[in-house]
Amino acid sequence: MTVTNSIEVRGLVKRYGDVTAVDGVDLSIAPNTIYALLGPNGAGKTTTISVLTTLTRLSAGSASVMGLDVSVQPNAVRQCIGVTFQETVLDDALNAWQTLDFHGRLYRQDRATRKRKSQELLKMVELEEAAERRVRTYSGGMKRRLELARGLMTDPDVLFLDEPTTGLDPQNRANIWEYIRDLKQRNGLTLLLTTHYMDEAEELADRVGIIDHGKIIVEGSPRELVSQMGADSITLVASGDTVRLAERLKTLTVVETVTIGDQVIQIGVDSGNRRLPEIIGLAQEVGCHIEDISLAKPSLSDVFLKYTGRQLRDK
Amino acid sequence: MHAAITIWNKQLLKLSPEETFGLLLQPILWVVLFGVGMKGLIGQGLPSDDNFYISFMAPGIIAFSALGGAIAGGSIWLDERRRGIVNEYLVAPISRLSILRRNARTIVTTTLFQARVLIIVALRKGSAIAVDPIGWIGGMLLVGGFGLGFAGIALAVASKTTEPGAYHALIFLLNLPLLFLSTALYPLEALPRWMQIGAQINPTSYVVDGLRRLVFEDGLSMAGDDVLPLWSCFLAIGLFASLGMGLAYSAFRSAVE
Repeated sequence: MTVTNSIEVRGLVKRYGDVTAVDGVDLSIAPNTIYALLGPNGAGKTTTISVLTTLTRLSAGSASVMGLDVSVQPNAVRQCIGVTFQETVLDDALNAWQTLDFHGRLYRQDRATRKRKSQELLKMVELEEAAERRVRTYSGGMKRRLELARGLMTDPDVLFLDEPTTGLDPQNRANIWEYIRDLKQRNGLTLLLTTHYMDEAEELADRVGIIDHGKIIVEGSPRELVSQMGADSITLVASGDTVRLAERLKTLTVVETVTIGDQVIQIGVDSGNRRLPEIIGLAQEVGCHIEDISLAKPSLSDVFLKYTGRQLRDK
Repeated sequence: MHAAITIWNKQLLKLSPEETFGLLLQPILWVVLFGVGMKGLIGQGLPSDDNFYISFMAPGIIAFSALGGAIAGGSIWLDERRRGIVNEYLVAPISRLSILRRNARTIVTTTLFQARVLIIVALRKGSAIAVDPIGWIGGMLLVGGFGLGFAGIALAVASKTTEPGAYHALIFLLNLPLLFLSTALYPLEALPRWMQIGAQINPTSYVVDGLRRLVFEDGLSMAGDDVLPLWSCFLAIGLFASLGMGLAYSAFRSAVE
């Protein structure tokens, strides 16, 4: 069977009692792609991953990994995936060698393969020196790196990373990003990661799917998504009749997009520097009091705001 | 089977020297502190040799160690569930059931290990032990089956709760009647009627009396005429083991799915 997409999801629904965690998600992820599911906590990212990694049964729809249906052939799916979970899942009484060796044994790797892979991976994540120490002595960043190595131990075709850098300091995050980028080049691997960090998605992903309330709202490459926002973006926090202000702004020809959120108006314009005075003037005219105004080159944050009407805070 | 052994091996790898020491010391302390103390009290009424009581109570200590092993095994499983370690097993291409088998195996291994230590300690304290290898194997089967049954209960509870406090409270509650409402520490005829009934439906009595018949011959004479017949011991322990594992299986399935 020829596999066109590494991951194929159609109309995925997952309900927990009355709560619908995932509400009709479609995903098509081509091989050798880094795909980021971006969304706030509770958007359905982890549930989607749980279904794809065979931890949870889906309620409706279909999902397959490497052409294998997760409901029909869960064991075959498990054979070709690697996973790192949102929480640190390490047995802290073991050292790094034992952790990787145990994992390899679960997948029936022979001793020589286990040794070779452990050596290679511990070198890659720079844990060689600490490899004899028990995991409980590791820092958060080291634990993450070890989990990344473990996910790669069995040469998976698809690697799932659920919030790979949550809780790490900037230096460790940058570190993990580098490994992730390298991985794609070295192994021809497909990566599906979830994140609520805009910059992470922007830095790493070939494609981004913005997910909110269990639905994928928009999807594309970061560049595509950002370029929809116009050249520059002005974010305005104002009190007063913001709805009327937004209406007036839409009539200006230089304004490409206007999104109104909770007191926040986002304006996509051709050239921010030149249009700033014009916009301030207009706000005064309609009697809006400007509390904050900022000009930025558009980013995924703006895309997120545009599609969800909310800001996704990086925390 | 492969996966169950792999996970079991990891458990042994994690066994710290302190834990091994504790496992070894526990049965010894039982015999020395409780056994010798009680011997002074009860042994006075006994006809000749004052080591009868050690032989009499040794099977009970073995049963009690099995309970301890089951509780420890259940809390390992609870801990793995709480910390999400079980997810590593669940995304691996292994049978779900092998995770449960590993847990049962860990418990039975510890139990049999402690039983052996205890027999040696009892021997050194002057207890007479049957030198019949078939009896020994039979005795170990009973101990293993008993361990499995209680392991099942502990694993079922550990699959249903995520609170270590709740787990330990519930298990401890089960533990006390299992030990004291049995023929483990006193002969059946010495008990009031209601306790006799309790003791006769308690699986602990069956493992204890079975061991008396098979391994600790001295204990038999002290236990009086009401020692349970051997066939009933195997039957009861077999049923108890199946019941425990059945409970564990259904609770385990609902926990991982």
